[in-house]
Amino acid sequence: MTYTTPGGAPAKAPRDHLYITPRRRRLSEYEAVTCYTQPGPDAFDIEGWFTLGPGPEHRTAWRKESTRLVHPHWWDFRDPAQQWQRTYVRMQAEQERSIERATEDAASAGAFADVDPAWLSEVVAGHYRIWSFLEYALFRAFAVASREALSDTLGNVLCFQGFDHMRHAQAAVLYLMVLEESVEDFRDQGAKQRWIEDPVYQPMRALAERLMLSTDDWAELAVAVNLVVAPILSEVAMSQLIRRGGPHRGDSVTPFIVSTTERDRRRNLAYTEELVRMVIAEAVEGHRENREVIAGWIDAWTPLVVEATRALRPVFEQAKVDVVSFDDALAGALRTQRETVEALGLSPATVA
Amino acid sequence: MPDLIQAHERVKDFDWSPTYETRHERYPSKYRIPRKTKDPFRTLIRDYCSMEQDKDDRQYGALEDVLARSNMPAHAERRWLEVLKIAIPCINFAEVGAMKCTAQLVDTIENAELRQGYMAQMLDEVRHVNQQQYLTRWFAKHAPDPDGFAYGTRFRGTDLFGRAARSCFETFFMGDPIECALALQVVGETAYTNAFFVPLTEIAALQGDQASPSVFLSIQSDETRHIANGYSTLAAAVSEPDNHRFLQDDFDRAFWRVHTFADPFLSVTYDYFQTHRTSSYLEKWNEWVAQDWVGSYISKLEPFGLKVPSSYALAQERMPWVGHTAAMVGWGGWPLFFYRFEELREPDFEWMEGKYPGWYDQFGWFWEGFREMTEPGSGNPFNLFPEMPPLCRVCQMPCVFPRLDDNSIRILEHEGRRHAFCSAPCELIFHQDPGRYLGYKTFWELWHGHGLDEYIVKCGLLRADGKTLIGQPHNSDDPKMMWTLEHIKALDHEIRDPLQNPDSIYLP
Repeated sequence: MTYTTPGGAPAKAPRDHLYITPRRRRLSEYEAVTCYTQPGPDAFDIEGWFTLGPGPEHRTAWRKESTRLVHPHWWDFRDPAQQWQRTYVRMQAEQERSIERATEDAASAGAFADVDPAWLSEVVAGHYRIWSFLEYALFRAFAVASREALSDTLGNVLCFQGFDHMRHAQAAVLYLMVLEESVEDFRDQGAKQRWIEDPVYQPMRALAERLMLSTDDWAELAVAVNLVVAPILSEVAMSQLIRRGGPHRGDSVTPFIVSTTERDRRRNLAYTEELVRMVIAEAVEGHRENREVIAGWIDAWTPLVVEATRALRPVFEQAKVDVVSFDDALAGALRTQRETVEALGLSPATVA
Repeated sequence: MPDLIQAHERVKDFDWSPTYETRHERYPSKYRIPRKTKDPFRTLIRDYCSMEQDKDDRQYGALEDVLARSNMPAHAERRWLEVLKIAIPCINFAEVGAMKCTAQLVDTIENAELRQGYMAQMLDEVRHVNQQQYLTRWFAKHAPDPDGFAYGTRFRGTDLFGRAARSCFETFFMGDPIECALALQVVGETAYTNAFFVPLTEIAALQGDQASPSVFLSIQSDETRHIANGYSTLAAAVSEPDNHRFLQDDFDRAFWRVHTFADPFLSVTYDYFQTHRTSSYLEKWNEWVAQDWVGSYISKLEPFGLKVPSSYALAQERMPWVGHTAAMVGWGGWPLFFYRFEELREPDFEWMEGKYPGWYDQFGWFWEGFREMTEPGSGNPFNLFPEMPPLCRVCQMPCVFPRLDDNSIRILEHEGRRHAFCSAPCELIFHQDPGRYLGYKTFWELWHGHGLDEYIVKCGLLRADGKTLIGQPHNSDDPKMMWTLEHIKALDHEIRDPLQNPDSIYLP
């Protein structure tokens, strides 16, 4: 079938999802399978909601009040990594297979015998396993964020991030089970109790609970975790302590597992930067207010994150991370975080 | 290799009792759910990702390889391809609703086993959303008439049946999370994915469509885990005696809300868009909903405190008719839609009569009349009805069920507005919490007073030439058969809300 346009030229058959404006010249596969699947009156639905929540509130399916940020069209957001379910699952399947292989190979080769036993018992069975509870809390937090986000492209990155954190938590459990089989007297035990009781971890647990239970703004969650928690706390507690420190204590596997979490962190940072750029762009009505809100979030969360990080000094020092001191690790993390925030045109929080 | 059972026990031990922050109910629920139950599938993320990657590779590989090279859509029946233009976007919103439902459940249900299942289902539903969008894009690339596939998710927002789908599937995530789980997992996934996806394999394949079965069978392989989630959630709910005070009412409401849209819609999809004919939707409904879901599952739960939905008997009684009556509204209003409605022919009449005895007496007159109106300008299809029926305030379906001569419509004035309900259960649901259904205007209320041509232009229902309608009352490609905006203007038809017509035949 062919048609001619009103001007008389042959009209092209509509061979793609033409209701989506591509970010680049051509519609990507990611855009085609993701955009506008979540409806809304700011998209194509003349009216929003046909079945409201129960009374007395009668909430709508999605609510602008779910975030303090404003934007006229949340479906404009694009994940820089262009992840959709197929690519995301493929990526994580590869990461998990690589962890499984590295662990099996190390176990088969007897490599765990070369790891400093104190490192295994204090850092891997201790700190690394305790960290998995923070990961679990972040999974819970991002599940809610993915429910409330105001577009599909945002809901999906938040869903994937939630899944990332559960993956990190489960990877720790599975890895420690292999160590139990491979290393005499190694036991995965006591981590939950320390998470709940050990004074060193209480600021971190307080932070986790605040993110999980009291952060209802999905955009605030993304900013808090990806612009503050990850660059400061995760960087010091995981990247500097384990990924850098591990090889010097004979451990090559735990650092490798941590490096897979860093890959996820880089991806999540990228989407958060994209979100910030989108809402503070000058063309957006309310961009100034958005800038203030985000700055307020960074100001509010930074002290809590720094406190949680500083509380881990004894863990860092006990781990004998010779390659970097705790103070240098923290200073480096704060510097990089500051640069990241400034690169977005925002002001970083002042850290005492 | 870690012991899997041991691994599952440990990954479910992440919860702790918070002491620094107080949990507040983001999604209030009146249900009490025990903290420990059984997770029948025990899926670790590592295994989940690997398994789903394999499934994705098989399914997408098939679409891109064999099916594209064989130019399958060119050989598929055109009638069948047309219904996919609305069916896939409608089902797609069900997947969106399901994703949001399970995200809510992750937050609400303090039970580690159930939470594991919900987590996997969240990502499954993103998968299904993406798969179905991939499929409509694939059809847009390859189908003989791509219009409709190219715009489906956009047009769903304004389409009369798209709105009804939205209303139905909003019950998957709007409300008490446990009631939502009942609607999604116990009713939608346990009863209706079988009634939808299993016939699809048979019927689509017979129409020459191998792509849809590839995708939907892959989707169904995830649904087995969701059905297990539903069973676990239901078992948890019935195990607490306090929950029985409201469980039955919620279950009754969940069933009816899914039935009122899904059954007429699937009936029309399967019975009216087959060219090469096989089973009827009623036969499949009897197999999967009546015998399997009710007979083998729900009816066995009575000792545990849950009965078959109170409206099930009414649903069963209506089933032989609802699809046929809904079909008349679709065909009679064909210019409103973004897909084509082909006339029925003698073989179709014979099949209908064989599968639904009495069909011709009840409905033959309409189809004989429609056959005379397929050529451009040959008549106003809306005139096949004495008057287009009102839409139900709760479910948004036309108030014509089960049949025009046996219509269970009821009209009500509430707080200064007039409302129609398609049935007693919908009216009952309305009275349980009217505020839930008053946040919008019906399709007729929205477009009342607009010319049909004006509606078509405003909704963008025109092809690339700016004058030919996307919807047509046939599947011919002959340019002489194509209705244009000029033909519609010549009908001089104004859209009217029957409830605003004091002489309406639907008013008491």
